[in-house]
Amino acid sequence: MKIPLSWLKEHTPLTKSVAEVADDLVRLGHEVEGIETPRAGVKGVRVGQIVEMVSHPDADKLKLLKIDLGDVEHLGIVCGASNMVEGDKVPVATVGTCLPNGLKIKKGKIRGEVSFGMCCSEAELGLAEDADGLLILPKDAPVGEEVGEYLELEEAVLDLDITPNRGDCMSMRGIARDLAADYALPLIEPGDEVVTTDDSVAAPTVAVTASEDCPLYTACRIEHVKVTDSPDWLQARLIAAGLRPINGVVDVINYTMLDLGQPMHAFDADTLDGEIEVRLAKAGEQFIALDGKEVALHVSDLVIADSKKVIALAGIMGSQATGVTERTSNIILESAAFKPAKISTTRRTQALVSDSSMRFERGVDPAMIAVAMDQVAQMVEGLFGGKVSVTTSVGDADSLIKDKQIQVSMKRIESRLGVAVPESADAVLERMGFAIERHDDRLNFSVPSHRHDVSIVEDISEEYARVIGFDNIPAVMPSLLTITPRKLYKAVDAAVAGGFIQVINYAFISVDEQRLFVADDGEDLVLFNPISEAMSVMRRSMFPSLLNTAKYNMNRQQTGVSLVEQGRVYAGHMREHTETNMLAWLMTGDVQQDSWFEKTRKADFFDIKGAVELWLSGRGLTARFMADDNVQGLQAGQTANIFVGKSVAGVIGKVDGDVAKQFDLSDDVFVASINLDVLHAGKKAKFQPLPEFPSIERDLVFLFDKSTTSDAILQSVRKACGQQLVDAQIFDWYDGKGVPEGKVSLGIRFVLQDVKRTLTQEDSDKAMQAVIDVMSQKFQAELRG
Amino acid sequence: MSEIDSLKAQLQDLQTKALALFADASDSKVLQELRVAYLGKKGELTSVLKGVGKLPPEDRPVIGQFVNATKTALAEALDKAEALLSVKEKELRIEAERIDVTLSGRTATQGVLHPVQQGFDEMTAIFSHMGFDIAEGPEVEDEFHNFDALNIPAEHPARASHDTFFFHAEGDEEAKLLRTHTSPVQIRAMQACVDAGGEPPLAVVAAGRVYRCDYDVTHSPMFHQVEVFKVDKDVSLANLKGVLQHFLSAYFEKDVPIRLRPHYFPFTEPSAEVDIGCVFCNHKGCRICKGSGWIEVLGSGMIHPNVLKAVGIDSTVYSGFAFGLGVERLVMLKHGIPDLRLFFENDVRFLRRMGSST
Repeated sequence: MKIPLSWLKEHTPLTKSVAEVADDLVRLGHEVEGIETPRAGVKGVRVGQIVEMVSHPDADKLKLLKIDLGDVEHLGIVCGASNMVEGDKVPVATVGTCLPNGLKIKKGKIRGEVSFGMCCSEAELGLAEDADGLLILPKDAPVGEEVGEYLELEEAVLDLDITPNRGDCMSMRGIARDLAADYALPLIEPGDEVVTTDDSVAAPTVAVTASEDCPLYTACRIEHVKVTDSPDWLQARLIAAGLRPINGVVDVINYTMLDLGQPMHAFDADTLDGEIEVRLAKAGEQFIALDGKEVALHVSDLVIADSKKVIALAGIMGSQATGVTERTSNIILESAAFKPAKISTTRRTQALVSDSSMRFERGVDPAMIAVAMDQVAQMVEGLFGGKVSVTTSVGDADSLIKDKQIQVSMKRIESRLGVAVPESADAVLERMGFAIERHDDRLNFSVPSHRHDVSIVEDISEEYARVIGFDNIPAVMPSLLTITPRKLYKAVDAAVAGGFIQVINYAFISVDEQRLFVADDGEDLVLFNPISEAMSVMRRSMFPSLLNTAKYNMNRQQTGVSLVEQGRVYAGHMREHTETNMLAWLMTGDVQQDSWFEKTRKADFFDIKGAVELWLSGRGLTARFMADDNVQGLQAGQTANIFVGKSVAGVIGKVDGDVAKQFDLSDDVFVASINLDVLHAGKKAKFQPLPEFPSIERDLVFLFDKSTTSDAILQSVRKACGQQLVDAQIFDWYDGKGVPEGKVSLGIRFVLQDVKRTLTQEDSDKAMQAVIDVMSQKFQAELRG
Repeated sequence: MSEIDSLKAQLQDLQTKALALFADASDSKVLQELRVAYLGKKGELTSVLKGVGKLPPEDRPVIGQFVNATKTALAEALDKAEALLSVKEKELRIEAERIDVTLSGRTATQGVLHPVQQGFDEMTAIFSHMGFDIAEGPEVEDEFHNFDALNIPAEHPARASHDTFFFHAEGDEEAKLLRTHTSPVQIRAMQACVDAGGEPPLAVVAAGRVYRCDYDVTHSPMFHQVEVFKVDKDVSLANLKGVLQHFLSAYFEKDVPIRLRPHYFPFTEPSAEVDIGCVFCNHKGCRICKGSGWIEVLGSGMIHPNVLKAVGIDSTVYSGFAFGLGVERLVMLKHGIPDLRLFFENDVRFLRRMGSST
């Protein structure tokens, strides 16, 4: 909300600088988003009179002006505008001036003619968005005066972000009240002159059927009004406060809303039929709002209606057909109280926001209903003429305005704040409108009608905290608690230690990307209001976003990436859904940069498998990898399920070439993911005595069918060797020259050891023979040389 | 010439020739061969000695002494030559093994944690050390935990400002949404405590992803928050200030001034926005803090009694503080990262740089 300082000063005699006022507003809980200084922005622009005007000898559209600024010599200025005549007074930006649009005025030559400044339009002075020609000032404007001072531009405008609980501060009076209380200055009450009513004008007839939602409705009629533009000073005020002038009557209403906080509405009386009714909308009722929007009303919407139609959505917006225009001569003014929750609900369901609804849903001061009505009626009568009726009032104004009484314990407030509350704080609160009586610990707290936000002891504690100042509350560490013992696994840390770069991707992806890895089974969680199609469904696979990240980086001069992400995947329905914690890897392109000691190499399946195995072993887990040719999005023959214990804990494989191509990835792409939630705790490391007797190492080389898996081979080997086998590894894999088609030569290295004695050559021979027999029987593998 | 003189002359010759050869020997292998050639069983000295038998017996001791002297001289010369050579050879070897020590070492590629993760870990560790328990909650939430229980009823103006992602049209019964803050974990942690028949004290830190449908230069539709709260008897605003002061100084690794500004949040009363002295200009006022010397970092307050009521905790007995902070924002301030979008572009050059800084 924009608060012109001059307007604030009409409510309380502020003397502090705008910077100090801004600081104090922050301390009181009003965020200052900015301070504008319109007058300082046009410093150097002065009132000048055109004493001579001739055409530019070399340019039809340019004029050569001689300008009188009250100085000894007249200024020569080249000007492109055409709406001025000799003798006009115009704003002249002199050399050295910097205009609000950033233009710096310098002495310049235009088509050979020297120009010593610039004549300005409203737009160039920052007074309007656009303008047609120069701003022609009134004849009596004093030549030479600063235009900013002459036009009485605001010295300063504070831009405040009013918190939603402080509806009372959405007006000059409200902000002034907080400041006046803090500075111990008087708050100037609105004028108590009563408008002269004319009994010949019939007061409007009003029926309120929805009195729950509209506890007070007042209306008066003004006849024979001549609606013109509002006076310049009023328009300037509205513009400074961020509102657009519309017409005289609407401007007066808006002015009063900004001034006192009470939103009002004016109807063109001649467009109404019969009496005014405040009621809930009827099923199927329609309404065209002031902004032209067609609104299908809900039966829960509170409306103002005449005998035939809805004329306003209460507290939010009037109808287009019944609004006040330049042709209006008889008006009906409305000033009322509407229930905040009702306005809020309708504003939200109908998606209609207005300055009025902003205030009503935050709560306005019912004490201002009559005051604002009087102020508007007086101003309309004074500015545009007319005869004013008495005001019709439906509802109990007195009970609405009555103070709320709260009794609280001072100790509870002090315990909540952690500081003793001095009695001096009471005086500040009293100036804000509260009435306070202290009886030892008991506090009788009386809350004025404008403070809807104060109703319980905690609210009062906040008021005291504001007044004492948060800076004056000490910082005290609370007693510490013992925490529940728990082992925390940082899943991603071990993956990073394995050389992977951690990325964090959005949890939503596109439906198309989802379908690359997960079939459509109705378990997608689809966003109702996504940012875009690309971010419209909660991911059920970690792979699409990893692929996108790989694409992003490979497009930026990376020759290879190794990425890891820890995050959740989401699936299910409205009533039940699952969120599963995942860890996922991606490798593509070069595993290593070319270096003086090693040549670069492209990532393959065993690179990513090694990463996953390393990670698992770090958690004390071992896994079995079982080939699976039917994993969506991954290539048959290079894909496996990862079993930890008996459950599938993840999947690993090569991304299908067509899929990779969709992400512009030309190198093979390998991915793996592990479901962190199904992993068991893993084995705790347990002490074992170091071996006393030496081990024996033996190698055997066999020819196997290529279809034989090393997993199956090693399992059989372990069985054949029994307890003496410490380790068996494939140390050589060869299918080159000398190996028959369809076969592979596998070298197996055995480490044998006995805990009780030194093994002999015969022991190892026996074990090797057992292996040879099993390999031959089970896999028809033949021993090589 | 007598036999003995002839032998002497022979030995003299042999010695002169040998010493010259020893001095010329270029490596220890040659020297070894020379040792064998002169002093070995079948060496030259031995063959000279064969002539001794022809000498008359009285001359034999004389020539014997002469031979021994020659032998000693040769052996000494050999030892000396060997020692010299071995030093020379070592020097040569060292020279031959000279390397460029400035070539890069052989290392495995280093991975890095995402800067948000680093921030997460650092913050959680600080709170954990202070005695806060770690909790988690779902990201797909319901309206009760995300709004209603936090004293944000449907018609509340604050609800609109949350820019919520919904899974059903707004206002639907049972509508699920993406949590807009980590505060629902507060509700869940308190509910879990009450449901288990427990009661405060409770002190919890919860970190996680949160979502708002707002996407521009300074807003990301997904970001991370850390939520901290404590409920006990006599918890005060002063305690909140104490914890904030300690945390912010620990995180920024220096004593940062803090400022609480009164604010409004539906779930706290009183509420305060928390500023820290600008870390870029040391509180003096710069472009980044818009000259104020202060930078807003988080929202905080004393838990609203309606929130405690929603989970069945008696607000006349217990009170609590709570605050929620944006992880990205603090990480940006700590490391001078200018643009929020960098976190989710995941450019590995950025990630590597941020990874190497801690």
